[in-house]
Amino acid sequence: MPRWGMVIDVKRCIACWGCTIACKEEHFLPPGVFFNRVLIGESGKFPTSSKLIYPILCNHCSDAACVEACPTGATYVREDGIVAIDDEKCVGCRACMVSCPYQQRTYYDENVTKREYFPGQGKTEMEIIGEKLYPFKLGTVIKCNFCSERLEDGMKKGLTPGKDEDASPACVNICPVGARIFGDLDDPSSEINRLIMEKKGKQLRKEFGTEPAVYYID
Amino acid sequence: MNDKHQDLVQTMFPSDGSGIKPYEWMISPTRQRQWIDEKGIFLWLAFFFSEIGAGLYFMSLFYSYKPGLVLGWLITLVLGGVIHMLYLGNPKRAWRMIMKPNTSELSRGIWIIGIFAAMGFLQMVTPGGFNAVFNVIMGILCLLIISHGFATMNVIKALPAWNSTIVLPLSIISGIWVGHQLLQLMFALSGNAAVVSGMEVWAAAFFLIYFLCMLLYAWGTWHSSETAKASVKRMMAGELKQITHVGVGVLAILVPLILTLIMWGGSTNGFLIFLRLVSVCAGDLAIRYLIMKSAVYRPLI
Repeated sequence: MPRWGMVIDVKRCIACWGCTIACKEEHFLPPGVFFNRVLIGESGKFPTSSKLIYPILCNHCSDAACVEACPTGATYVREDGIVAIDDEKCVGCRACMVSCPYQQRTYYDENVTKREYFPGQGKTEMEIIGEKLYPFKLGTVIKCNFCSERLEDGMKKGLTPGKDEDASPACVNICPVGARIFGDLDDPSSEINRLIMEKKGKQLRKEFGTEPAVYYID
Repeated sequence: MNDKHQDLVQTMFPSDGSGIKPYEWMISPTRQRQWIDEKGIFLWLAFFFSEIGAGLYFMSLFYSYKPGLVLGWLITLVLGGVIHMLYLGNPKRAWRMIMKPNTSELSRGIWIIGIFAAMGFLQMVTPGGFNAVFNVIMGILCLLIISHGFATMNVIKALPAWNSTIVLPLSIISGIWVGHQLLQLMFALSGNAAVVSGMEVWAAAFFLIYFLCMLLYAWGTWHSSETAKASVKRMMAGELKQITHVGVGVLAILVPLILTLIMWGGSTNGFLIFLRLVSVCAGDLAIRYLIMKSAVYRPLI
């Protein structure tokens, strides 16, 4: 069984927000909900300051704080390393949201569903279709799932996640500079393992001890 | 920009300073919202009522006072329990929260409350229920319930202001202090002047420990990390400073201090005890609110 992970090359990222938009499109996310974001900050002081661009998403931690905090077992780590949510079990206590050091979860309630992309003009056909095609359950928590539907469908067709677009996450496919590399962390010969080894991949906020499956290289 | 759009922007990034700009999210210390804003306010109240109910039950054990047990039991289960349910997105599935006691503090809390409900009921209906076995078991359960709210927050490593060692002692002493005040008022109302007067020694001691725990929390949080320090700064100088000054400074510390000094030596008065209880409850609510509202996440980059 593979253990899916991602490498993000922050030197390549141009902060185009393509991943953010592709993700919203893939999951039909309502306004104000993001599974992918791009953080832009600075380090150092002028004249030696440098700009930091960090695309962030759920880190699919193997020792996830959200999984430990969930009182119902709704949040769990799948065999393939993806941290998933069973919306039938979620009680909406939001312990997972509070405990996530990366703040990658969203509570899906009436406040979210009432939002429109064109406020005051009603929902567009795209939004209405999205609610049917990709329904989220009210009163539960939602988050990035590494596009697990794409991965599973693709693998059923014999495709390889990370190599074939139809079996890879939307944010990986859209990236115009190839800053995102997706693959199997348990395969020593995979591209992402090579990059992590060669470029000394770093996990975000490793000190929390959550063992993220998303690595950053520069 | 029409009204709806303004509402959306206002919801996401309030202009009253309680929020942050979109481009600052997780780049500067970012406030936790889920457990205090909107429906999260229920959790603040639920933790408070569970705590004072268990505190009252705990103190009643020392005085073998059954009305105190009954009221404490009811406050914890009815008020605490119902308000907890109001907070949940899917309360019909709440029974599932018993599933993960090995890792989840919330799950452990549900178990403890369940055992407290059953054992407490048994103690109340059993003749001679104030025996040593019952008292020890219920005493331990009460302490666990008193600390449950803050224990749930304390295990969250991502929020340094909550992940402090003094959070649990503070929560335990605040539960005992408020429970003691409630019990003292109940005795005062029932005309038991000798007991009320005797309890005043403990009132002074609990108040002193409570005050020291508050100081230790503020001092320890300030010195633990930059992110934790940001939480204390939000309490002292940010939009929460009025609650800190009035809620903590006046209601939690100054008024109880003055009233305790007036009643020093056991010269108690029913009205003053009532006044101190109101002030202590408001102060405790303010402290809990501040701790929950001021907690910030460490920036990611």
